[in-house]
Amino acid sequence: MTKNAYKFSARPELQNPAMIVGWDHDAGKLSPRVLEYLNRRLNVEGFCRIEPERFFSLGGVAIEHDIAVFPESRFYYSRNYNVILFKSTEPQFEQHGFLNAILDVAQQYCKVKELFTVNAVIAGIAHTGSRVISAVFNQQALLRKFHNSELTNMTWQGPAAVSSYLLWLAGKRGIPAVSLWTKVPFYLAGVEDFPAIEKTLRFLGRTLNLDLDLKELDDQVRLQNEKIEHLRAQDTEIDNSIASLEGGFELSEQQQMDLIKRVAKTLEKPGR
Amino acid sequence: MSVIFYKEPQLKNSIMLCGWPGIGNIGISAIDTLREMLHAEEFAQIEPWDFFNPRKVLIEDGLLKDLEFPKSTFYFQRVKNQDLLFFIGQQQPAEAGTRYAEGQKAYEMAELVLDVAEKFGCWRVYTSGAAVTQIHHTIRPRVWAVPNSPNLVDELQEYENTILMSAAEAGEGQGMITGLNGLLLGVAKKRQLEAVCLMGEIPYYLQAAPWPYPKASKSVMEVLAKILNIEIDFGGIDRLAERVDKTITQFLETLYNAEGIPPQVKEQIEALRYARETRLGPITDEEQKRIMEHIDELFKGEDFDDEKRV
Repeated sequence: MTKNAYKFSARPELQNPAMIVGWDHDAGKLSPRVLEYLNRRLNVEGFCRIEPERFFSLGGVAIEHDIAVFPESRFYYSRNYNVILFKSTEPQFEQHGFLNAILDVAQQYCKVKELFTVNAVIAGIAHTGSRVISAVFNQQALLRKFHNSELTNMTWQGPAAVSSYLLWLAGKRGIPAVSLWTKVPFYLAGVEDFPAIEKTLRFLGRTLNLDLDLKELDDQVRLQNEKIEHLRAQDTEIDNSIASLEGGFELSEQQQMDLIKRVAKTLEKPGR
Repeated sequence: MSVIFYKEPQLKNSIMLCGWPGIGNIGISAIDTLREMLHAEEFAQIEPWDFFNPRKVLIEDGLLKDLEFPKSTFYFQRVKNQDLLFFIGQQQPAEAGTRYAEGQKAYEMAELVLDVAEKFGCWRVYTSGAAVTQIHHTIRPRVWAVPNSPNLVDELQEYENTILMSAAEAGEGQGMITGLNGLLLGVAKKRQLEAVCLMGEIPYYLQAAPWPYPKASKSVMEVLAKILNIEIDFGGIDRLAERVDKTITQFLETLYNAEGIPPQVKEQIEALRYARETRLGPITDEEQKRIMEHIDELFKGEDFDDEKRV
């Protein structure tokens, strides 16, 4: 089923690299921003892509933020850090074939040693709190390897995300894999959650020995926090809502909606 | 894309009964209840990968334990010297954004099901679904029978409470069977294999309701019992139908009391209570939309967890 699903543009020499998988749409824009950051900082080069025709509706192009977009599913490699990145839109059709195409490239050509997927999970937490990274492993040995890390083990039963499907298929092939699920406050799900992006990048940097300069991201975290603090100072209701979340309390549906709208409006404004 | 066999039962001159989820789950409830009653034994499954995405993941303390896919399972049983094959599909292989099977995947699934039917000497296939019509839920549903060959018409007319399309509402013998219940009839016809779809009637105002409609499943089972010449204890399905009837009555009262329901829609539904043949006149799209909006409102939140995926 996966024959001819992918096409190589180069054949770099790789030595059992780690692979990081990210998707174009994610809460807090976490997954795409992490992959974009790594793309820039690791000086990567594209070498393979999955052809879209079997996996996406090609009846036209979508328009996002005034720009026509087309589904892209591309592999990149960093010679210096021995890392493969795979960045893609989630497939609309034939998930099984699509995910196996990723794993064919990862296993047969790249001989990947470990696979990471990067994802956000929406949580009822305040932005002032820590962004916990929950993890799901497909092998007991890998779970043990990260036992003393900052990751917390997830327990969950319910609808399956495409990353979990990839993890499961990787497990069937004997590829060690872990899904990272970084918590994003629900009111930052529609915008960029820079602290969650930074936390995820720091973890990947430490784990894979990537020399990541995160200063640019630190500045964005600071600016975002300042904007929300300014909003809290001006709006008592918003301040109370965030304080409730900080105290571990839940908000009503109306309070949640108000918080989402006001924070989004505040963060849309350029500058301080 | 294949079928995994656990056993190779020795069957001949078998009949296959197929059920998939659909409106009111009428067909699948009828076929699966019959399968359970007859203690049919599982012997094969269609590999799910090429048809379905996983519907559930199980993660325990950081370890991915399992993914659960919709099952498409074959069973067999011998009843009174008649070999029976059952096929129960937990989901129809729909394209993105569609509820019922259509397109290449549906065709491939229909082919696989009939490959198994023919492998085990099947000479006739029954599918079952829903016939959405203007009846009241207190009235016994009839069974609309659609064969894939004119040779079957006389036989079907002999069954009690069963009508052909030409005797149904429009009276022209025209219509459409959506999803695999219909497609299987067509693919069987291509293979010169006899097939019949038995559709239990369901009131139009319940077609989007999230509960089953066991009263219609019972009607289908009554026809199947006659076809297979078997006795069925309907006690369980009668009790379920009674409970669902009560839920429907409460639901309608809520609907009637809600603001924005046109009085004429209530009158139309209530008129159905007294006579099947009442000509009610058309329900406008706007009225239908308002009914459905209220159904959505009533059951809002039931699928809330589906918004989160891990």
